[in-house]
Amino acid sequence: MNIFIYDSFLNQKKYDRLLARIETRITDLGLNGKISRLGPTKNVSETIDNELRRGAKTIIAVGNNKTINQIINSLVSSRIPLGIIPIGQDNNDIAKSLGIESIETACDILSARLLTKIDLGLANKTYFLSNISINNKGSVIDINKNYTIETTEKGLIYIFNLIGEQIKLLPGIKFIPNDGFLELVINTYCNKNFFTKQDHQSIFKIKKVTIHNLKNQLILDGSVSISAPAEITIVKKCLNVIVGKNRNF
Amino acid sequence: MFNKQNQGEVFNEFETVIGPSVKVKGDFNGQGNIIVEGVVDGNLKTNGNLEVGKTAKITANIEAKEAKIGGHVSGNVKIKGFLEVTATAKIFGDIEASSLSIERGAIFNGKCVMTTGVEEVKKIKVA
Repeated sequence: MNIFIYDSFLNQKKYDRLLARIETRITDLGLNGKISRLGPTKNVSETIDNELRRGAKTIIAVGNNKTINQIINSLVSSRIPLGIIPIGQDNNDIAKSLGIESIETACDILSARLLTKIDLGLANKTYFLSNISINNKGSVIDINKNYTIETTEKGLIYIFNLIGEQIKLLPGIKFIPNDGFLELVINTYCNKNFFTKQDHQSIFKIKKVTIHNLKNQLILDGSVSISAPAEITIVKKCLNVIVGKNRNF
Repeated sequence: MFNKQNQGEVFNEFETVIGPSVKVKGDFNGQGNIIVEGVVDGNLKTNGNLEVGKTAKITANIEAKEAKIGGHVSGNVKIKGFLEVTATAKIFGDIEASSLSIERGAIFNGKCVMTTGVEEVKKIKVA
């Protein structure tokens, strides 16, 4: 059975018509299943555990990056595929990277059921699908205890599994979310004077990294914060995802 | 990448980029192509190709398949294939490569061993 997990923000009345449209499309495609609405009293991991025990065949995240992050942290140990229906334009770049651009295409993609196994990043005990970001001020990056990286300009540190629209990569570089590696990207902004403003980018392919920072927190998938120090590793091909043809890998 | 047909071409695909505002300390072992524009203190080794930009400052021994050096290098450079040293390069250390090109204006202080030449000398001695 397909289990549609609606994020709690969808309980607002303004989403009623949109959800009705999705439900009609899903019924037309013969994909209907059970709808589970998250709320202040309904825990994600408990809901997913219960549905998996009852024999769910697909878990479909209806919401944004935060919804996906919460669901993958409960779904990671099972082989049940994850489907995505993105709601809204903001904080939804994971769906776009997987080739799911709109609600209409999301329903068609669910129907086509093109499955891909992808890696997940693990920061301390929290999984992430897309990326981690942190301010580089005060950050110390320790890679495999072989070498350390220091930055001399202000900027942001990203660790990517699946790249979204956060940064523009240098030409000739492509990130693949099922190659068993994470990509550490350091974007710095050198503005010694207004007319010579320059952006610099550094890229490292890594399997394990430790980030120390006393002041700033790490942001996972653009929505969940965890404190540093954090040990970040990769878990190879541990999530089955339904993807679109226009995915970026 | 830097073979005889396309000597001097830039990288098409690379795995690691050490930008101008980054300093790497320790032993860096890579598998793919590397571009260095920043500072490296330690050892730098890759099975792929290496490009050292003019803003780079490397205090390390370098090992790579093929390389193009245009920055400051203090340490020994060991290249399996072709090594291109451009006009902006400053190399203080020994070079080992099977083929080499040094552009006018480059600074090189050290010994140079051509690995293909060594093999030929050995063959002559055996004969």
